[in-house]
Parts: sequence; structure tokens; C-alpha cells
Amino acid sequence: MKHNEYKQLLQLSLFGELKSEEQLKLKEHLLTCEECRVELEDQKNLLELISGKKKAAVDEKVLSAARYQLRGALRAERSSNNILNSIADNIFQYFTTPLKFTFAGAALLIIGVVIGGIFFNKSSQTEFTGQQNGESKFSSLSEDISISNVRFIDSDASDGEVEFTFEASKPIQLRGKVTDPQIQSVLTYAMLNEQNPGSRLNSINAMDAETPVQYDNDVKNALITVIMTDENPGVRREALKLMSKFTYDETVKQTLLYVITSDTVSGLRIEALNSLIEAGGKGYKLNQEELNLFRNKLQRDENPYIKLRSRTILQEYN
Amino acid sequence: MQLSDTDLIIQAQKGDQSAFEELVYRYDRNVLSITIKYANNEDDAKDLYQEVFIRVYRGLKSFRFQSEFSTWLFRITTNVCLTYKSRSKEHLKVSIDKDIDDEENEIRETTELVYDGLSPEEISSGADLGEIVNAAVESLSPKQKMTFVLKHYEGYKIREIAEMLNCKEGTVKKYLFDATKNLRKKLSPVYA
Repeated sequence: MKHNEYKQLLQLSLFGELKSEEQLKLKEHLLTCEECRVELEDQKNLLELISGKKKAAVDEKVLSAARYQLRGALRAERSSNNILNSIADNIFQYFTTPLKFTFAGAALLIIGVVIGGIFFNKSSQTEFTGQQNGESKFSSLSEDISISNVRFIDSDASDGEVEFTFEASKPIQLRGKVTDPQIQSVLTYAMLNEQNPGSRLNSINAMDAETPVQYDNDVKNALITVIMTDENPGVRREALKLMSKFTYDETVKQTLLYVITSDTVSGLRIEALNSLIEAGGKGYKLNQEELNLFRNKLQRDENPYIKLRSRTILQEYN
Repeated sequence: MQLSDTDLIIQAQKGDQSAFEELVYRYDRNVLSITIKYANNEDDAKDLYQEVFIRVYRGLKSFRFQSEFSTWLFRITTNVCLTYKSRSKEHLKVSIDKDIDDEENEIRETTELVYDGLSPEEISSGADLGEIVNAAVESLSPKQKMTFVLKHYEGYKIREIAEMLNCKEGTVKKYLFDATKNLRKKLSPVYA
């Protein structure tokens, strides 16, 4: 065995990773090699120096805060999934079970016709092969159908064939009251998924025009998701404003606490704090765990107004 | 009687949120321990922890029991750590945003990493020892730091680390040797 290999064995030995025969070989080598003995001492000293963090157990407060944030994020994740399911449900709710199958069959037929039209209509094939860079229109099918996200499964045309997937979409115009479930579903979807923050904002504002609020839990869950996850503070603020019109309950309280403890914009934290204080005045109180989180976070908040208000709240509870 | 991971996963896959929570609570201490030691910053560590379990939540439906849940979970943990960019990384002069699969580049770049938090003069003048050690560990490349944290701070076996990182045991050893070499270079003024 070469000298350098013994040096590696030294390290593995310190990590407790040597087999007994390797350990024996190393021991024999150390008896005769001064350089390796020095090396062993050196590595021991190094590992001793670095082992400061080794034994440190996870701080319970940090774990508790991490779990709290995770619960909020999971709630947001679940409500986002629920919205998608609810849109599907809204489409299907008008049909009885046998009709659902008929509808599903019809939908498949339509998809089949569209795909058939794309692939078996000569002019669209020609047009398609002439397209570049993803987004395209099929004038032979319909002027307003567009395709995007073309992803090749097999781009090698040496055998005369290629295979790919793409998304086809068509603009649809809807007009109706915001109390209409279909309108609500689309607006809810838009506030969660639209790329453009202006569109997300408009979707929320459109719903805000309805007073008093008559929305179901899906809208509320979507608003909570927006409040917790939207990157745009303006969108989060409008969502918070609309959520304050909903009946105050445990979910609303948790969302307000999440904003107070986690949002980076002090204006939003103040709005959430004010809502929480207002609810407290109506008899909705915080439990001990929430108070502790509240106390820890607010002690560190850099905003003097939040510090002052939080002190008042904590005094009320003492 | 305590349910096995498999039972909990099956229940969670059917939408039982409490089963998922139970799974989280079974392992989240270990995950947080890794992220704290890797990120060396509580806020970043909590973000990483959250990202890990959101990915687990999303992926659990398609979990097919081809590996232990813990192996899968810690593989996700290491992936999330290795691809993370700290919110407070201004102190690193050299970006670590690079192709993490390019091992050769990684090893080469490691030797070029310069930590500007503490100079040799500051080290020799007795700056806080914890800070010096943290600075040296921070200066390692992501994979070197990951293997070092998992081995030295968390006490995992090389075989387990190889499973987590989805690589060969020899590769893990290589990262560990290089990590130690770099740490010795940085810290020799302190302990030699």
C-alpha cells in the first residue's frame, strides 16, 4: 500500500469507517511511520476543533417555528390543489353521473377531433412544419387556437417521424355576476396562477366589489394562498383586505398570525395586526402557543409601531 | 401501537393529513439539524426545511416504495441544500452557483474559493473561534460541505451519504478528503 493511501485510511479511521483488517494494517504502519503519526495527531486536532457544532441539538424553539411555517405552507399548498379540483367540479356539477360519462366521452371526442384536425388536415400540417419557437396558430382549424410549450420526446427525424407534446389553448370570453360559480372559479384560478400581477390584482378586486361577501371556502382558501405565497406585496395586500370581509374564524386568525410573523412588508404586518386586534375586541383570543410565537417574533420586529402594538396586546393577556 | 412508515405513507397518499404530519414529525428534527448545519443560518435553515417537506408532500403520491422513505427524504434534503442560494450570501466573494454535477470543476473551484469574512491576520489575532471554523466550513464547495456536515456533524455512514447523494462511496470519500484538506489549509493557523 502506498504512503498516500495510508493517509486516507487515517482519515477514514477517525470517521470510524475502517474495516478491522484495514485498521490492523494502519496500526502496523503507524508503528514504523513517524510522518503518519504526526498526520494522525494533526487530523485529530482539526476534527476536535471543528466538533463544536457536533453535539448541538436542534433548538426546540427553532423546530417549533419551522413546523409552524410548514403548516402554513402546507395549508397554502392544499388550498391551491383544492382550487384546481373545484374548477373541475364546477364544470361537472351540472351533470348527473351518467351524463358525466357522456360529457367525458364528448370531451375526449372533441380533443380527438382537434388533434385529428391538426394531424390529418394537410394545410395545418404544412403550416405546423413551417412554425418556429413554440407558439403557433392553426388557421385551418380556428384562428384563435394557439399552441405553446412544444416539448420533443423524439426530435430525430431520420426515420421520417418526430414525437412531441404541446399545449393547445383558445381564448374564451365570459360575462356574468361575480356570484356565478363559474366566474368565481376562473377568477380564483387567475388570482392564484396568472403570471401578470396586474391580472391577479384585478381578479381579487373584481371579487372585492361584491358586498357583503358571499363567497365559498374555495375563494377563502385561494385568498389565504395568495396572502401567504404571492411575491407581489400589492396583490397580497388586496387579498388581505378581501379576506377581512370574511367571517372571522380559526383559519383567518392563523393567516393573520402568519402575516404578522412572516411577511417581509411592515405595512402588511400592521394591517394584519390591526385585524387581529379588532377581532380580539370582539372576543376572539389567542391561545398560549400563538401568544408565544407572537411574543418571540414581535420582540424582534424592526417596526416600532408593531412593537408598540404588540406590547399592548401582550399586556392585555397578562 | 406505532404505525410503520409504510402504513403512514399509504394513509397520507389517500389524503390523510394527520398521517403526513406524523411522518414529518418522525424525521423533521433530523432534517432541520442538517439544514441548520449546512446553511449556518436559522432563517435559511427553516426555508430549506419547508422546501424539503413541500417537495415530499408533492412527491409522496408517486412514492413507490422502491427505497426506504428516510433515504428518499434525505435525498430530497441534500438536493434542496445543494441547490439553495442563501438570502444572505453577500459575504461570499465567489459564487457557488454552478453545475453541481460537475465534480471536477467543483474540486477545482473549491481551491479558488476565498472567504472574505476573516483574514489570516484576523485569525491569528484571535477572532472568535466559532466564527473562524464556520467561515472555513462555509468556504467549502456545496458537495464537500454537504458530505462533511453529514459525516462529521450528523454521523452518517459513508454508505448512507452515498445513497443520499445518489453517488458512489468513492465519490463521497473524495469529497471528504478534499473537504478535510481545505479545512486544514484554512484552519492550520488556529490549531497547528
